[in-house]
Amino acid sequence: MDISSTRVDDNLVVSVSGRLNTSTAPELDNELESLIAETEHLVIDFADLAYISSAGLRVVLSTQKAMNRKGGTLVIRNVKPEIMEVFEMTGFVDFLTIE
Amino acid sequence: MTPTVVLQFAVATALPVIATVVLYLIEKRTSFTKINYWVRQLIIGVVFGLIAVAGTEFGIDVNGATMNVRDAAPISAGLLFGGPAGVIAGVIGGVERWFSVLWGRGEFTRLGCSIATMAVGVFAALLRKYMFDDKKPSWLLALAIGTVSEVLHLTLIFITNIDQAELAINVVRACTFPMVLCNGLSVMLAVLCVTLLSGEPIRKKRDQREISQTVQTGMFAAVLIAFVATMAFTYALQVSLCRNQTRALLEVNIEDVKNDVKETSDRGMLAKARSVAERVGSVENAKSLSLFALTQDLEVSEINVVDEHGIIVASSYGEFVGFDMASGAQSAEFLVLLDGSTTEYVQSYQPMAYNENLWRKYAAVEVEGGFVQVGFNASELQTQIAADMPNITQNRHVGETGSMLICNANGYVLSAREGQNGVSLADTGIDMVVNTSDPGTLFTGTFMDAPVYGLYQEAEGYRIIAILPQKEANFARNAAVLVSAYMEILVFAALFAVIYFLIKKLVVDNIHRVNSSLAKITAGDLNASVDVRDNQEFSSLSDDINQTVGALRRAIDEAAARLDAELVYARTIQRSALPMVFPPFPSHTDFSIYASMDAAKEVGGDFYDFYLLDDDHLAFLIADVSGKGIPASLFMMKAKTLLKSLTESGLQPNEVFTRGNNQLCEGNEAEMFVTAWLGVLDLRTGHVQFANAGHNPPAVAHEGEDYELRMARPNLVLAGMEGIRYTARELDLQPGDTLFVYTDGVTEATNANDELFGEDRLLASLNAYKNEDVESICKKVHKDVDAFVGEAPQFDDITVLAIRYVGRNDHGTEG
Repeated sequence: MDISSTRVDDNLVVSVSGRLNTSTAPELDNELESLIAETEHLVIDFADLAYISSAGLRVVLSTQKAMNRKGGTLVIRNVKPEIMEVFEMTGFVDFLTIE
Repeated sequence: MTPTVVLQFAVATALPVIATVVLYLIEKRTSFTKINYWVRQLIIGVVFGLIAVAGTEFGIDVNGATMNVRDAAPISAGLLFGGPAGVIAGVIGGVERWFSVLWGRGEFTRLGCSIATMAVGVFAALLRKYMFDDKKPSWLLALAIGTVSEVLHLTLIFITNIDQAELAINVVRACTFPMVLCNGLSVMLAVLCVTLLSGEPIRKKRDQREISQTVQTGMFAAVLIAFVATMAFTYALQVSLCRNQTRALLEVNIEDVKNDVKETSDRGMLAKARSVAERVGSVENAKSLSLFALTQDLEVSEINVVDEHGIIVASSYGEFVGFDMASGAQSAEFLVLLDGSTTEYVQSYQPMAYNENLWRKYAAVEVEGGFVQVGFNASELQTQIAADMPNITQNRHVGETGSMLICNANGYVLSAREGQNGVSLADTGIDMVVNTSDPGTLFTGTFMDAPVYGLYQEAEGYRIIAILPQKEANFARNAAVLVSAYMEILVFAALFAVIYFLIKKLVVDNIHRVNSSLAKITAGDLNASVDVRDNQEFSSLSDDINQTVGALRRAIDEAAARLDAELVYARTIQRSALPMVFPPFPSHTDFSIYASMDAAKEVGGDFYDFYLLDDDHLAFLIADVSGKGIPASLFMMKAKTLLKSLTESGLQPNEVFTRGNNQLCEGNEAEMFVTAWLGVLDLRTGHVQFANAGHNPPAVAHEGEDYELRMARPNLVLAGMEGIRYTARELDLQPGDTLFVYTDGVTEATNANDELFGEDRLLASLNAYKNEDVESICKKVHKDVDAFVGEAPQFDDITVLAIRYVGRNDHGTEG
């Protein structure tokens, strides 16, 4: 898994590629935890994400909650059909903003 | 030094640096390193050898020596590119220097230079191998190495010309500054350039410095201080010795000349006195003579005639008559003439007893009845002996090149070694220092444009000056200082190398060995041991480390065993929480059910549950807590208990989830969540009310038909977010229908090629076993998943639950 982040206008865009599973999720969790403090508008780009496990979902969930707490926004972008299927099955589509 | 010479030296200094940079870049940026090592060393050696040759040919001749920047090339090659390259470059440079005499290079330093250039190549190669472990030295050490190499070189020149020590010293002195500076600078710059190009910091941070480097720096400073201190002492000592020797030499010569002058003047004055005595005849006779007229006639200042009692009975000065010669120390000396021991007596030029301010020289000759004493003033005396003066110093020299001068009260030179007779002292250049310093003290001045040491004394109204050129006087001092400086540098360098080598061998190398063993241990190999036994300290360190690691290994083994035991316990508790007895309700023939949970670790996050709410309603649940292990299993126990009690309270599945979700959200600091599928089957009708919290869709099949997934939009997982309202869903089962629920451990089981088992394979498996009973279905699907995964590790818990509705219509109502 690779993580990179860039700032576009007000948005902090975090791109995640590879497999987001039990062994890689903690790294993304740490990365996002520090980035959340830096922005009001977080964008996670999943264009190159091949797989997401429940540990990955947990990171997305806690990030959404953290942004809700600080009154910011989280947008998930470029979700591939396989990943979208997981979001749908777990009901995440209901409370995530997916573009 | 003329600008051309400076430029020549600058070019010669820069050449090895430029070659180093170019070769370094070639090694880094091209495939040069793919060439065989020895070929590479040969190429580099030849390049630097040619630069050494250029150094010789750019050299400047000094007294038959060729002053040059030749050694920097082999040193740079040896230190930075490899021992063989250094040796080759040194041999090329040295051999060419030997033959360069044929086309006009210095003969005098031929042997010394040739040997030295070869030696420094070998020197650099040895340093690289044994002192720096094939790494480059710091720039400061590079400067020191360049400097010491040149000192070695110049020492060799000195040794090979020991029979002409004086010339050798002069050559070495002339060469020392430019050669040591240029070679040292050149090597230092080469190392500095390579350090910069490799991107290393010039000064490493403290935690990156090796012990050996810190020791180097410390020793370097200590050695430098010791060197400066001893050299200052040696210099001061030599200066003092040199002054004392010079003064002694000058004093001896002055004493000699003084005696000569006095002898000459004594001889002259006695002769004069004899002629006066002849004219006087006797004491009796003198009383009738006009002695004053006689002084005029014979050009003397004073004539006294003394009787046998030592009383002046006649004098050219009337008031002297009646003076008792015994009454003054100066005059009393003449009384020796009355006791018959001598017939003549002469005194040096000195103040007279009668009047201390008046200077006279007296000579006396015996006459009948007493003696005649004749007094001369300075000019009479000097006129008398003027003709003899030049001979006194003409053939006299002080040391090799020094000389004596005699000059009169008017400041004119009367006698000198090299024809300055008659010249004014002012024209020789030393009149000022002579006039302002006291007699008998050593002074420095300029004589005939050469800096000299000098000393003067006064005698017979003359100034006698001894002069020694500083060049000669200081030669011994300079030679002593130079030779001891060279010897000190070589001795300190040798000491430095020995101490450094010992520290490296006794401490640093052993630390590296301990570290490499420790690296194995920290990489996880607790069976590795440290075995450095070169000395007592490292032996005991090794033992301590081994004991610590042993204790650690035992502690870890014990902890692991304890943890294993606890996990086995936890697994038993978790398993006992799941219904494990099949068939669970033997009296119920209207349905059959089977479920299994296979945890990836000892304890898992998946669970299933089923229970009869009353005789007609069966609740069944499958769920998956995010995560695995102890935390997931604890959360699972909480969720399971909560959902069961809510369901048993008679709530609909969607209400169970809505209420359960809110309760699970409370205090969920680990931010875990659960996907769950809960159904309640009406055993009378086959109607199933269910709710889905983010769980996989169930697969349902009519009797004998294929399975299909019942896709219905699920709600969010449980414990994800408070306040979710879960949707009530329903489906109907016909008698003979089978419903199969599972966790994502099934569909996301992954094989070694990273392929997922997926829904298609699941459906294919289910269809293959559609005619089997629920227990077989569950077991065989699990087996298919295991077969698909193969050797790849199981990442997630695998849980399945199958229920087949039989119905009551055909078989009648139970109980």
